[in-house]
Amino acid sequence: MRTSLNEIEHIEKHLLGELPGEESLLVEVKMSLNESLAEKVASQEVAYALVKQYGRRRVRQQIANVERKLFETSGYMSFRQRVFKFFG
Amino acid sequence: MNKNEQQGFDEMEGLFTRLYLEAFPLSAAFISKRDGSLEQAKDLFQDALVIYYEQVYTRSEKVRTSEKAYLLGIVKHLWYGQTGTGFTERLDGLDSLMLVDIEEPQPSEQKLLSFLETAGRKCMEVLKAFYYDNLPLSKISDHFGFSGTRSATVQKYKCLEKVRDKVRERKLEYADFAE
Repeated sequence: MRTSLNEIEHIEKHLLGELPGEESLLVEVKMSLNESLAEKVASQEVAYALVKQYGRRRVRQQIANVERKLFETSGYMSFRQRVFKFFG
Repeated sequence: MNKNEQQGFDEMEGLFTRLYLEAFPLSAAFISKRDGSLEQAKDLFQDALVIYYEQVYTRSEKVRTSEKAYLLGIVKHLWYGQTGTGFTERLDGLDSLMLVDIEEPQPSEQKLLSFLETAGRKCMEVLKAFYYDNLPLSKISDHFGFSGTRSATVQKYKCLEKVRDKVRERKLEYADFAE
């Protein structure tokens, strides 16, 4: 892998707590001395959060599709009847 | 959607359809007994499915034998959380603290997220498979048609780098405007 990708992998291990203690400490020290590195680490954390939000949105879309299917299309009448009974 | 995306989508649709059919009636019964509406039941159940997917389904094969109980337990937590009454029943392996993390993205993230959902779609799908769905490396490699697991890992980091660069780029833009 090219250098920048190796660095991303290294940062990832640091963020996940997978680096041995002294290596992790070294990353922290480098971050305090190198603004660009600190910024990369911070941005990488945001990137993971964005992936999670993206995943969550896709899952919600899929659930909404399923809900529409169950409540609005034919073929799920007995399910609907069972549910509607509870709400009078 | 390309063919692989469609296949993944169909699998997820199958999963959520099954969970909905199996577990929603129990949740509906619970909520209706407490004078909740059908809409409330649907909203809570959707949240419960998201939580279940993120915290249980993508993390362990073992607990899938008690899906109905899990989902009902999550719905109860959410219901009591909303109505503010205490709820002390513990569900094995499910910390109530986990349930807090269902918030929506920050406004500043929204714009970037929308951009990534379109322009960055392919990368986001790869990253989602790794970091959100927690799929095995071999499955990801097959699904996206990579030449092997090594290639899949390289693609993961390339995509992560692209997203990270976009974040840095946008942050610089915000900083400019903030001056």
